[in-house]
Amino acid sequence: MNEAMKEGRYIYSVVSSAVESELGDVGIGESRVYLVPCGEIAAVVHSCVAEPYVTKDEEKAKEWVLEHSYVIDLATDRFGTLIPFSFGVIFIGDDDSVRFWLEENYDLLKEELEKVRGRSEYTVQIFCDEDLIKEKIVTSDPELLKLRDEIEKMPKGTAYIYQKKLGLKVKEELIKETNRLAGEFGVYIEELVDEVKIEKKVSWIPDKYKGMMMIAAFLCLVSDGNVDALGNLLDGIDKREGFSVRFSGPWAPFSFVQLKGT
Amino acid sequence: MKMKPERDYGLVDILDRLLNKGVILNADLIITVAGVPLIGLSLKAALASIETMLDYGMLEAWDRETRNWYKNQLMERRPRLAEDEVILYKTFGYIWYNQGLISSWRPGFWYVTNERIFLWRREPDEDLFETYLERIASVKTGTEIEFGKDREELNLEVEGRVARIRSSDVPAFEDAIRKALFNPRHQREPELGSWG
Repeated sequence: MNEAMKEGRYIYSVVSSAVESELGDVGIGESRVYLVPCGEIAAVVHSCVAEPYVTKDEEKAKEWVLEHSYVIDLATDRFGTLIPFSFGVIFIGDDDSVRFWLEENYDLLKEELEKVRGRSEYTVQIFCDEDLIKEKIVTSDPELLKLRDEIEKMPKGTAYIYQKKLGLKVKEELIKETNRLAGEFGVYIEELVDEVKIEKKVSWIPDKYKGMMMIAAFLCLVSDGNVDALGNLLDGIDKREGFSVRFSGPWAPFSFVQLKGT
Repeated sequence: MKMKPERDYGLVDILDRLLNKGVILNADLIITVAGVPLIGLSLKAALASIETMLDYGMLEAWDRETRNWYKNQLMERRPRLAEDEVILYKTFGYIWYNQGLISSWRPGFWYVTNERIFLWRREPDEDLFETYLERIASVKTGTEIEFGKDREELNLEVEGRVARIRSSDVPAFEDAIRKALFNPRHQREPELGSWG
């Protein structure tokens, strides 16, 4: 290591452990991953140069991110629910810098670890068949039903305009209805979880849900003991005609740990 | 019947969490990728193009309510502060309460902020004493003999009355008050409890 290259520590997570130990050469680029303990908590790190991980090779980047994810899974198995770090956070300095940071933020980190202990993050996405709900909206509203019947008898040009009008009205009702449903499901879910957040942007859904309308996406922090109950509830929603639920997890609590003021 | 959570994560699911979620620190001693076009850039761009946005209406209102509920839950465990009010010192302690037939030391958490000094009781949630810094005429330490031993206490003179305060570290408490008094912020009407 020449003088210009400062020493650094890449951090994967903070776990509940009071002793020094190693996870093996499982880190990014097969680096040796080990624990830097402080009191009853420890940072999971690997030693590196204090330079950000940069690459133009997308495959390489994906590999790094998956390696990071793997260390988080491994550490979770070994030490229980942890505080997961985002990809690419590097401390400038050696183990002492990490220890110093742990010491400085000890109470906060302990509190967050306590909050997530025995809990995991789950994703709940609720999909519905748009056409089916639309049909229900029209058939349950006498005025819309009447309008639809009338459109059928209209001359083409007029029918087109009214069809547009009907379509807009139904779309408006659809949003109202799906929001109502999502809110209702949310209230049920809230009862069974420690914390719930709405996921505003959903990055990916499996193929089998494509073509369906996503009416809600929740991120939930769930106690291990409540996962079955949540599964029961979601099964009930999934069985409703025209509805489908995606329930995935457990994840490390990526969406529920905040370290403000660090 | 119950639904089992699937572990059918797509690669994008994992990338999303590791690049967009998880803890990022804002401190001088770390390098982060936050906002910096490091490895994540092309991956993040790929993610953005396939995001599914949701239609919001009532769901948003529900979300707001839920968030507020959590916020209130958290607030209940902490004293209420004004906007821009900063806690400078906090310690467990007492105030001498004397009203009619009742006189006793009442426990709670003492807070010195950049605006006030107050004693807050968690359960039930109440400020047992409160004064704005500019109302304080003097701060003195005194001793009271209790069970044959000297016990240090802090005497705060406010509007002609003296509040008697105890805490585990009286000198540190006094020091914190003096520091706060050095730079009081606003002029306000005090609301004094029935102390002294």
